[in-house]
Amino acid sequence: MTTTESRPAHVVQDRPEASAPPDDAQLAAARKKAHRRKNSKNWSLFLLFAGPNILLILAFIYYPLAMNMYFSSLDWRLGAPRADPVGLANYERFFTSPSGLEVWRVTGIFTAGAVLGSMILGLLIALVLNKKIPGRTFARTAVFSPYVLSGVGVALVWMFIFDPQRGALMFILDRFGIEAPQWFLDPDANLLMVIIVYVWKNLGYCAVVFLAGLQSIPKDLLESATIDRAGPVRRFFSIVLPLLTPTVFFLLVTNIIFSMTNAFDILRVMTPTGNGTNTIIFEIYLQSFGQFNRAGYSAAIAVVLFFTLFIITAVQLRFVERKVHYQ
Amino acid sequence: MKQSTISLSWKGVAAFSVAALAVTACGPDTNGGDAAEEAEDTDWADVEPADSIVFATNHPGGSEDIEADFIDEFTEETGIEVEVITSGANYEETSQWFQTGGGSNADVVVLSDATWFPNYLNDALIPVDDVLEAADIDVSGYVEALYEDYLYEGNHYGVPYARSTPLFYYNVEHYDEAGIDGPPETWEEVAEISQTIVDEDVAQFGYAFPPSDEYPAWGMANLVWGYGGAWSDEWDFSTVSSDETVEALEFAQSGVEDGWANVAATSQTDDFSSGVASQTIQSTGSLGGIMDTADFEVGTAFLPDGPVAEGETPTGGAGLMLASASSPEEQLASAMFVGHMTSAETQARFSEETGYVPSHQDSDMSQVYEETPQFETAVDQLERARVQDFARVFLPGADLELATTLQSLLTSGDDVREEMERVESEFESLYETDLADEIEG
Repeated sequence: MTTTESRPAHVVQDRPEASAPPDDAQLAAARKKAHRRKNSKNWSLFLLFAGPNILLILAFIYYPLAMNMYFSSLDWRLGAPRADPVGLANYERFFTSPSGLEVWRVTGIFTAGAVLGSMILGLLIALVLNKKIPGRTFARTAVFSPYVLSGVGVALVWMFIFDPQRGALMFILDRFGIEAPQWFLDPDANLLMVIIVYVWKNLGYCAVVFLAGLQSIPKDLLESATIDRAGPVRRFFSIVLPLLTPTVFFLLVTNIIFSMTNAFDILRVMTPTGNGTNTIIFEIYLQSFGQFNRAGYSAAIAVVLFFTLFIITAVQLRFVERKVHYQ
Repeated sequence: MKQSTISLSWKGVAAFSVAALAVTACGPDTNGGDAAEEAEDTDWADVEPADSIVFATNHPGGSEDIEADFIDEFTEETGIEVEVITSGANYEETSQWFQTGGGSNADVVVLSDATWFPNYLNDALIPVDDVLEAADIDVSGYVEALYEDYLYEGNHYGVPYARSTPLFYYNVEHYDEAGIDGPPETWEEVAEISQTIVDEDVAQFGYAFPPSDEYPAWGMANLVWGYGGAWSDEWDFSTVSSDETVEALEFAQSGVEDGWANVAATSQTDDFSSGVASQTIQSTGSLGGIMDTADFEVGTAFLPDGPVAEGETPTGGAGLMLASASSPEEQLASAMFVGHMTSAETQARFSEETGYVPSHQDSDMSQVYEETPQFETAVDQLERARVQDFARVFLPGADLELATTLQSLLTSGDDVREEMERVESEFESLYETDLADEIEG
């Protein structure tokens, strides 16, 4: 409607000449328009490529997370059509009940055992596999393969090994006159048992990552140290270990997260009632699905696990990373 | 800039509010409504059965094929189509599936003695008494204790389908070797025979108790009842730490301490089948598996008597329940289907195929007895069947508490009375936390 044809002639004549230089305001407006057009194009491209992924992440991660946080504020039996809002009572109960404290104790021991065991043994194996030994490729494959096996399958095989009446371990210990612990019956023995199995399954992952770290250490540094008569132990602690700290840091972060979240299959198969092995991830299952049917309480524990991992990782990034030598 | 910040804040608040509304809209009702009060009585005389129903089953005892046969027969007889949904690998998975909405379209569902009650509390099941009557199903033929398992507050909420009880198993060859004439009739005799077997070096242990993941509170209920104890008397939990219960458990504990019994590490079935232990108690449903794996003659006997009571047998297994979400037409068709699946003839064939005991008194089991005479003991023992204690089957988490405590007591030598008093206190806490409001209204 505001075309030049429809305007009075004097208005058209009053307009500045087309060849006249634009003033600052016009320039700013033009720049703003161009900027907006560019921004709009960038946003369109961003939405085109990232949009579907963002939608999936929102739908399958953040929406369930938000739902879970909401459920954690309810006194709700699994599947019940009604629930009572209880605020933070579920959290209070978890942090103050004796069973909640026991869950923290077991989780702490399991995580410490699993992370330290996997990393120390993984490093030792990586040091061996880094040497030029016969059958090195086969050994690397053999060490890594348990990591890609199903946790359920691994647990079932180890149940045969640990069986105190018919198991392979019982025969070996018997040969040396050692009485086998009461695997499956004694809570402490159960915790040790699942740590051993978890470490066995996970150390291949640590070994391979450590191996990659070892191979990135400059050879000339080690050769210089050897010329300076530094022994293997001195070379390890003065050169290898400091230069491995980025790898150690990466493995520390991932192993803590994995041990607190990924061990469920082994725990569930080897100790179905969680006798002595009731870590926080197992407690989430047990409270919701394993007889108790406490969906609200279980959701609160899941939120606690989420923030626990969040805080541990943040603390590691803030403080532990300072000790890391990237060069 | 200030305006922009305020605008962004309001947008943030608005987005958060929308998100919060979206989240709360998808959860359970938190406004204190009561679906039970809203439910209306159905006048079954005006209802015609639906043309099709959905049957959710975990095919207990590997019954997929025989269930399909029964369904074909039912459809041929009534014209009602039955869609089968495999609802899980076991009873627990089936209940989780049903509770979490996966089974929202199921009309008939298989639920166990220990998993139907939470579904009842969720108003997911209907009482079957009236609808069975409308479908002309005669319930007087069911084994009484098996049907009474589903009785609560004057209504039945299920029909016995894949039912089992614990059974006493013994190694006939070990008995012969140790010079033992026949199976024990009392727990005192179990101890004596077991001691003889160990003394004669026939087996490592005379008797195997179940570990915590093999439902020890179910298998050991007979022992506790035999001494006059119980896991509970309805909602009174004082019996779990009574003198009688403590005495029964001290007897079991002394068996492990004295060396005539053990607690199986993985399963008492494994210890018995491999000859590590000469006697055990396990489900009747395990009879087929034990006879397949054992390379010796297997004997079966009634559960032993205690000093106070005859060998009472706890019931177990699963029943068929009707979903409250179904329409009355579907519920009526479902009741007809349930009647077919639990008739005397169907139950005899189901029992023959799976090893579960028939839930109907008139089932003709003669053919099964010819092939597997040991099974006759399981069926005859139903006369001594007793409905389980509320604590084990109705109180959420109580069975797990009992299971871990029993294993701990038998393997550690802890003070039984002290531990059972702790269990009683734990039961009361579970009841107050998870049930009291609903049970007491």
